[in-house]
Amino acid sequence: MSGQKNSKAKGLAIFFLILPLFLFLVSLSIGSYGISPHGLFKTVLSVVSPASYPDVPAAYRDILLRIRLPRVLLAMAVGAALSVSGASLQALFKNPLVNEYILGISSGAAFGAALSLVFLGRAFPPQVGGFVFAVVAVGAVLLISGKAESHFISLLLTGIIVTAFFSALLSLVEFFASPYVLQALFFWLMGSLSLASWKDLYISLPLIAVGLAMLYFLRWRLNVLSMSDEEARSLGVNVRREKMLVIAATTLITAAATAIVGIIGWLGFIVPHLVRMMFGADNRRVVPLSAAMGASIMMIADDIIRGLSSFEIPIGIFTSLVGIPIFLVLLKKTRKVWL
Amino acid sequence: MSIRVTHLAFAFPKFSLRVDELAFESAKVTAIVGPNGAGKTTFLKCVGAVLPTAKGSLFIDGRDIALLKSRERARLVCYVPQEHDTTFNYSVSDFVLMGRAAYISPFALPSREDTRAAAEALDFVGLTGYADRAISEISSGERRLVLIARALAQQSDILLMDEPTTFLDPKHETEVFELVRKLAVEKMKTILVTLHSLEMAVQHSDQMVFMKRGEVVAHGKSADVFQESLLESVYDMKMKIIDWEGRKLVLR
Amino acid sequence: MSDLGMDKRFGNGVKNLSGSVDIPKSLIMISTVFAFILSSGALFPSQSQTIKDSLRRTVAVPLRVERILSLQPEITRILVALGAADRLVGLDYFIGRDDHLFKILFPGGTRLPVVSMPDESVNKELIVRLDPDIIFTSPTELQVSESIQRSLGIPVAALASMGSFDGLLKEIELVGALTGLGERAGELGRYFREKIRFITESIGPLDPEDRPKTYLAFWSSLVRTPVFYEPVQAAGGRNVADNLLPSHLGTIGTIITLEQVIKWDPDVILIQGSFLPRERQVTVEGVLADKRLGSVKAIKQRRVHYTLGFWYWWDPAGVLVESLYLAKLFHPEKFGRLDLEQEGNAIYKMFYKKPEVFTKLMRFLDFHEWTEK
Repeated sequence: MSGQKNSKAKGLAIFFLILPLFLFLVSLSIGSYGISPHGLFKTVLSVVSPASYPDVPAAYRDILLRIRLPRVLLAMAVGAALSVSGASLQALFKNPLVNEYILGISSGAAFGAALSLVFLGRAFPPQVGGFVFAVVAVGAVLLISGKAESHFISLLLTGIIVTAFFSALLSLVEFFASPYVLQALFFWLMGSLSLASWKDLYISLPLIAVGLAMLYFLRWRLNVLSMSDEEARSLGVNVRREKMLVIAATTLITAAATAIVGIIGWLGFIVPHLVRMMFGADNRRVVPLSAAMGASIMMIADDIIRGLSSFEIPIGIFTSLVGIPIFLVLLKKTRKVWL
Repeated sequence: MSIRVTHLAFAFPKFSLRVDELAFESAKVTAIVGPNGAGKTTFLKCVGAVLPTAKGSLFIDGRDIALLKSRERARLVCYVPQEHDTTFNYSVSDFVLMGRAAYISPFALPSREDTRAAAEALDFVGLTGYADRAISEISSGERRLVLIARALAQQSDILLMDEPTTFLDPKHETEVFELVRKLAVEKMKTILVTLHSLEMAVQHSDQMVFMKRGEVVAHGKSADVFQESLLESVYDMKMKIIDWEGRKLVLR
Repeated sequence: MSDLGMDKRFGNGVKNLSGSVDIPKSLIMISTVFAFILSSGALFPSQSQTIKDSLRRTVAVPLRVERILSLQPEITRILVALGAADRLVGLDYFIGRDDHLFKILFPGGTRLPVVSMPDESVNKELIVRLDPDIIFTSPTELQVSESIQRSLGIPVAALASMGSFDGLLKEIELVGALTGLGERAGELGRYFREKIRFITESIGPLDPEDRPKTYLAFWSSLVRTPVFYEPVQAAGGRNVADNLLPSHLGTIGTIITLEQVIKWDPDVILIQGSFLPRERQVTVEGVLADKRLGSVKAIKQRRVHYTLGFWYWWDPAGVLVESLYLAKLFHPEKFGRLDLEQEGNAIYKMFYKKPEVFTKLMRFLDFHEWTEK
């Protein structure tokens, strides 16, 4: 037992697990409005007892509680959700090239949101349609690929096909709908936290929490499920049932996250790799650390976006631009064997 | 732990397996041999419930395998594949720990007991020092031993090993066989191995089963059943068996 | 130009890639250049003027255009105003399907073929059949114009007002000149300038502080705003997002953070109301009820209103009425006697020669604020 290496890794792990909390506080102080840390502190206190701090402007409170707080929480939740989802599906599909949208969630959600905007108008939040069709897409994949215990390759291929199918359907909707009606879809397809409000969080946060909890408890099981189906079966695992469990949990959190913020690429793909590179492949560590790292990365990315300018660069673009070089560097480093 | 096979059948698109009546004795090592494509691996996978079979075709200790839950079945029988595809670079100890899956519920983590069982299994195959190494970084011979260790951690009384010695160098080959013998004797395990090497098979096994084209053509005590005439009919070529210092050698 | 595929036809002649030039090769080159000149002559028959479009491209156009394909609704509206509607050979999907004005002006439809689709694709075969002399397109749909010009050889001009009166007036002038309706164009141009002058003179000189800070929430979103919108300025207000970002490649919209809106603390918020009430994602009620903006002056003073905004660029009559409406909104004391409905109908009558168009439009869009006395 190389004790020194072990304790170093442990220290690093604890650092990454605590990092989101620290970033949470930092993120609350970043924004175009420009509130000093002192002002922020007073604002927090004024929430608790408004009477003692009458000079805190209403704008400060509105910004902190209604704009920054939900947004940072959403960043944490989505970052964790997509990363854990990606990690779990990579284990399930025994393929590190998999990402959390592999089962058709992204295109299903986009189609659902578009459909809702066109037929239900503004009366209905498009997020619901997005969520519903994200789940429908995964359901279609499971149905089409037959028994879930069949080769994981066919699940993958079916996922690709269903994704393409819903993309085509989306094009069809865009084709017939007035482009102005679909303007609202604009942000969403690029991936953006700008729409974050408490209304969105009330439903999506619990869903994400439930799914994350499931995957957290299943984390050791993921090791076993990452074995070939034959091996898993001989190890005594009801492969079919447990695969469905993992897929259900990942679908829940990915669909919930995607319905609110749109498509944010590369996070669920990169983060698990980073974690495995640093801490090994054991999912008992990969799952919680992916959640923490994903949350941190999202918060940092969003902080940069919000802090740099008054413009709203969609975060989905950002994660792709940042994710691709990281991926290439990782690819170079781990040429030999996939972690 | 006895195994009884009754009318076991499995069909692939171009190949079908059919074994009518076969029984295996406890705490004995049985070698399953035959030409390529005879169905040895398929048979082993059926016995290990890796491939699905009909009810009433496989009984372990009197219990119908097809009626058991995965967990229960895994505590009785374990199929050890020949190779493992190292997609994820688990450490040897984490890998062996997976053998405890049948004793851990899906939402739980391994207990201290599980960790201990895994460590013991690793010790039994002599690889305790390898615990922190990554499985992709050890030799294939050592990886075989790790696979066996995982099977040991599973603590099932029946071990089905698919070509455990193929591609191994003579030293590692012998190690594996010694291990197998040790398992049968010390741990009272019922072991089925598929082998290509006839000499190794006859030397290290108590019983032998000959398969050809999806059927069992002969079975029995190794010494008894190992005859030139049988070998010729199974392998479709003339072979000569030579006795040398108590060992049987096969000349082709 | 595929008929100039010389490699295939004159294979042997050009195979020699080393320094020396073969006699056959030079002959080929000369004849090719000659053929090019001849064919380009055939493609541009009366190439007697060039214009510069909104993307600063120089486009060679015929002296007089008789057959016009307009894929730019703003230009289409100008053509109708000029009285050149009969020269249109085809329309784009937007005018054909979504334009409020056209539904009012041509209640029975126009029977003109629709040539483009929402995904920016065009039916090239149909375009060839319609044989226009010129195609107008929007600068945001660059690929369309380039590909049409390349493959069909029909001149394509990308024009848009970009939110400026000057741009709009130049367009009217240009289209007037191209269609030989310069007189009518001049009439409209003068009318437009007169109305704007009326507004600016009625307001009089203004200190910057007297200009209400205005935030424009366009394009179905609270955070998308145009970096330039002249009506606000002409009406004596100030667009808080003015020149935030230089407009490029024919777009003038940008996305900002909500915190920035709060920081600007506008006095007035204007929401693009040209979406049908049923399709409005951002509404006055919604904005007034948005707790995040509770500290903003516009919300506290309940100065949140609809304005016409862009509806695939401008309708020249609409933008004039809008300027009047905004002027009254920003400086009510100077426009007390302004009857917006009356003025609106008059303006629309001037441009489109039909009565009551403004009243109908207001009913369509449910803008009672605009028509209440």
